[in-house]
Order: sequence, then C-alpha cells, then structure tokens
Amino acid sequence: MNKGLHRFTLFVTGATLLLIVAGALVTSHDAGLATSDWPLSNGQVFPEMQGNLFWEHGHRMVATSVGILVIVLNIWLWRSERRAWVRRLGLVALAGVIAQGLLGGLTVKLMLPLAVSAAHATLAQLFFCTMVSLSVFTAPAWSETRQALEENADAPLRYLCLAAAAGILIQLVLGATLRHSATWDQHLPVSLLLFHLGGALVVTLLLGTTIITVLKRHGGETYLSRPAQIAAALLVTQLLLGLAAYLTRQASPDAPQPRNPMVGITVAHVACGALVFAATIVLTLRAFRSFKAARETGASYRRLSTEAS
Amino acid sequence: MLKKRARFWLAVFALVSLLALSYACGGKKDADSGDNTSGGGDKPAATAWAPKGDEGTITGKINLTGTAPAPQKIDMSQDANCASKNPNATTETVVAKDGKLEFAFVYIKDGTLADGKKIGDYSFKTPDSEVVLDQNGCHYVPHIIGMQPNQKLKVTNSDPTGHNIHALPNKSSGNEEWNESQPSGAAPITDKTFKRSEILVPVKCNQHPWMKAYIGVVKHPFFAVSKEDGSFEIKGVPAGTYTVVAWHEKFGEKTATVKVDAKGTATSDFTFDAGASASIESGSLTVVPAIELPMLMKH
Repeated sequence: MNKGLHRFTLFVTGATLLLIVAGALVTSHDAGLATSDWPLSNGQVFPEMQGNLFWEHGHRMVATSVGILVIVLNIWLWRSERRAWVRRLGLVALAGVIAQGLLGGLTVKLMLPLAVSAAHATLAQLFFCTMVSLSVFTAPAWSETRQALEENADAPLRYLCLAAAAGILIQLVLGATLRHSATWDQHLPVSLLLFHLGGALVVTLLLGTTIITVLKRHGGETYLSRPAQIAAALLVTQLLLGLAAYLTRQASPDAPQPRNPMVGITVAHVACGALVFAATIVLTLRAFRSFKAARETGASYRRLSTEAS
Repeated sequence: MLKKRARFWLAVFALVSLLALSYACGGKKDADSGDNTSGGGDKPAATAWAPKGDEGTITGKINLTGTAPAPQKIDMSQDANCASKNPNATTETVVAKDGKLEFAFVYIKDGTLADGKKIGDYSFKTPDSEVVLDQNGCHYVPHIIGMQPNQKLKVTNSDPTGHNIHALPNKSSGNEEWNESQPSGAAPITDKTFKRSEILVPVKCNQHPWMKAYIGVVKHPFFAVSKEDGSFEIKGVPAGTYTVVAWHEKFGEKTATVKVDAKGTATSDFTFDAGASASIESGSLTVVPAIELPMLMKH
C-alpha cells in the first residue's frame, strides 16, 4: 500500500471540501453571475477581483486547481495502484470534476436556472463522496486483514449505513434546491423549506439509529466506532447550524446586502452537511469491508465484543 | 446487415443530437423584432395614437403615513473603488421626507378615452430617444425609470470599477432575462430593449449586491416617477377616465380612478402605509402585512 498516494488522495479530498465551501460562498453572495462570460471572467484569465467577482472567480480558480490535482491523482493511481477498480474509480472522479466544470459553465451561460444550479450543487457532493471513497480505499487500513464481524440478520448494519447515506444524499439535494430557489434578498419557498426540515428529521432518525447500532454492536471496534462517533458529533453540529442558518436567512431579505453572519453560518451548514455525508460514507464502506472480510475468510461470524470478553 | 442498421441509427441519433444542440444554442427567434410601435410585443392595436393638441395632465403627490424605515448604511468595503467614491451610501428602497415618498412609479393601467375607445385599443409609437441608466457611485441612477416596449435602453458606467447589469423580467412576461458585464471605462451598452409591457423589471448587479433598479415598461408614454418631494406629473394625457396605479417596491400598489378633461389638469394623490411591505419575486409583486404573519409563513 502506497502511503504517499493515500496522503495525496486525502489532500485532494480536503481541496474538494474547500471547493464546496468556495461554491457555497458564491451562492450566498449571489455572485454566480458577477461576470457574464465563462470560462474567462470579463474576458480575462486573471481579472481584477472587485466586489463579488472575488467569490465567483476565486471559485473558478479553486475548481481549476482541484481539476489539476485530480489529473495528477489519476496519473499516480495508474502508475502505482494495482487494483484496477480503484484506478477506474479515479477515472470516475476525473469524469465527475470535468462534468462539474461544464455544469458550472452552464449555470453562467443559462443564467442560473434552478435545475442546473441544483444539479451543480448535487454533483459537487457526489464528487466529494467519490474522493472520500478513494481516500478510504487507498488507506493502509483498508488492505489490512480484519477480524470477522458478526452481522445481524434482522437489521444488517451495512444496509442501515446505506439507508443513512442515501437519506443524507437526498437531504443534500433538497438543501441544494432550497438554496438555489431564492437569492439572499428573497424569502425561501416555504414548501421546500418544510421538505428540508422533514429531511433533517428523517436523516436524524436514520443516522442516529445507525450510530447507536454501531456503538452497541461494535463499540470496541474503532474501525467502525470512530466514524460513527464523528458522524454523531457532526450531525448535532449540523442541526444547530441549520437552525442558525434559518434564523439568519429569514432576516436576510430586509438587509441591504448579504450579511456576514448569514453567509458564514449558511456556508458552514453546507460544509458540515458534506462532512456528515463523508463520515457516513466512510462508515458504510468500512462496514461493508468488515463484513465482506468475514465472508471472504469463510470464518463463522463472531462478535468482536464476545471475543474481547 | 446488422452493422448497416447500427450505422443508420447512429446517424439518426447524431442528426437528432445536432438538431437539439443547434436549437439549444440558437436562442429564440424574435417574432416582434420588426414592430416599431410600443405596442409591438403586445396585442396589435387597431389605431395608431396621435396627439390632438387638447391633452391634459395628471399630477399629484405620493404620501407616506406612519414611520418610514430609515435608509440602511451600505458596506462597500468589498470594492475599494465603490467605497472611495461613495463612502456614505445608503439604501434607496424607502426614500421619504416629511411624509412624501420618492421613487414611486405612477402609470395609467387602463381606461377609456373621451372618444369611447379603450387606451388598450391604441398603439403608441416607440420613442426614438434612449432611456439612460447610469452606474454612478455603485448605485443605479435613476433608481426607478420608465420606458416603452422596444425603446432602447442605454446603460453607462461612470464608476472606476466594473459592473454587470442583470435584468430579471418575470418569466411569464415574454421579456428575456439578460446579463452583461461592463468594465470601468467600457462603451455604453445600447442594444437592450424590452419587448413587452411589464411592471416592473428588476435590475441588479451581481458584483455589488446592494445595487438595484426597477424599470417600468409601459406600452404608452403616460407614466412618471415621484420626485424627492413626492410629486409626479404625467403630461400629454388624452381626455378620458383612467385607472391610475402608483407602485412602490416596498409598499406595493395603490389604485385610483382619475378623470382628465381636455386641456385640463387632474390631481390624484396616493397614500402608502409605512406598516405594509411587499415581497417582490422577479417582477411580480404581492403586498403582505409586515409583522403579523409568523416567520415561517412570511414568504
């Protein structure tokens, strides 16, 4: 296992989170159309970053950097990664970042139609999810021989994790659609807001159940319990950020311009949502890995906790 | 044989894709582009209107009762050029002095002329003059303007910084959204028009989010914007009885029926309540109570 490759993958994943933050800053500042052209800004590669052009062009620069990093990552994967499916996943990430760039261009050229803007925000999360997965797969721990874990036939943990991840993805799509359906000076549509609130409840139930299940069944297995604990902390943070984002966003239409508390809290809410998704993806992949290991070794399923005792 | 069939379907797929792409990139053809009357985008009118020399005037004041919200300070620190040119900038949403309201757009919405014809039965020539919208001190000047369909809009940039001008007509109005960057020192933008009547088209700058203007597009020339003292004057109005509307971006609409005699001056004052507010969504406007609704329902 190439530790350097894993560290670089983690670095690109971190850069992708930064890209999500940069994109969220564009949306909260209503800066998406600060220049009417794409891929250049006002006909220049490096325009004077005045006003909201700082956010829009800054987002494009971060996106370009991430694109270059993903190309480098693919070269590295094809040179040193022996698992063909991991190399192919690298290509999926490359296709994702290219598609994301083109979608970003479409948002400018078509002047931010809701469907394209929401698709751009959703693909950002899927691309991030791909990078998180690559980070998990290239980690030394992934290839280590693992103790077999016992799966519960009534409520398999793997499927609980999958359900939580799917629920979070739907919630992210709802959040993206909500954010792009009204600019800072308009009130959020009530129906979408209620759907997003309902989504928060569903995600809390799904992810909460998953976390409790992990901690109850496999609390001694840090490979699973650590991402579960991180997901729990992030979920609580995300719910609080969501409440704060709602309160600041409700006051926003009466302000003369996007205020820093609204922008900062809303962007933090977007970033934390991505991190909740990331933690759940890590947990899900590790759960599949743990139980797959049990099947592969042909060992009878055993509970680690029982062994420990 | 199978390969031949596959090639055929591949060719059909490519053709359909190309057609779809050309349609998507081509934009809409303008069916109204050859019409030089200000009713061009609207229902064709039977009679071209011409002044008879006995037109009258509608005049009045826009009043505001209650306590007007104070203008809010704008933080222009994100663009040093704006901050240095206009260090004490405030919002223009509500500009009121001594109970008189500036920036209300007053226009004839409907009505019947003395000859018995509806005003909508006439067509009005598109003025040759341009309507100028300047960007000065990172503000739109004027804040509210009126123009007729197909009349040219000239956008100038008097600032030492770049702007983008983003017009957001209502999707159902038939007017097209547009967005154009204008760097400092760039030539004026002169090719913009609105083909349909619309009350009112919001305009904003995405580089400087506090910059907002509204353009009232009316098929006839009978409109005005209230001045600092709340007064307005609509000249050249043919004798008749009209529904006159005063529109304000914060307080919504007020309507009055006004009778104009030949060569006469009709007076109609409008009074807005500072306790009411309107929410504007892409040009359409709904008046909602300012405080009564719970936060969640204030949409």
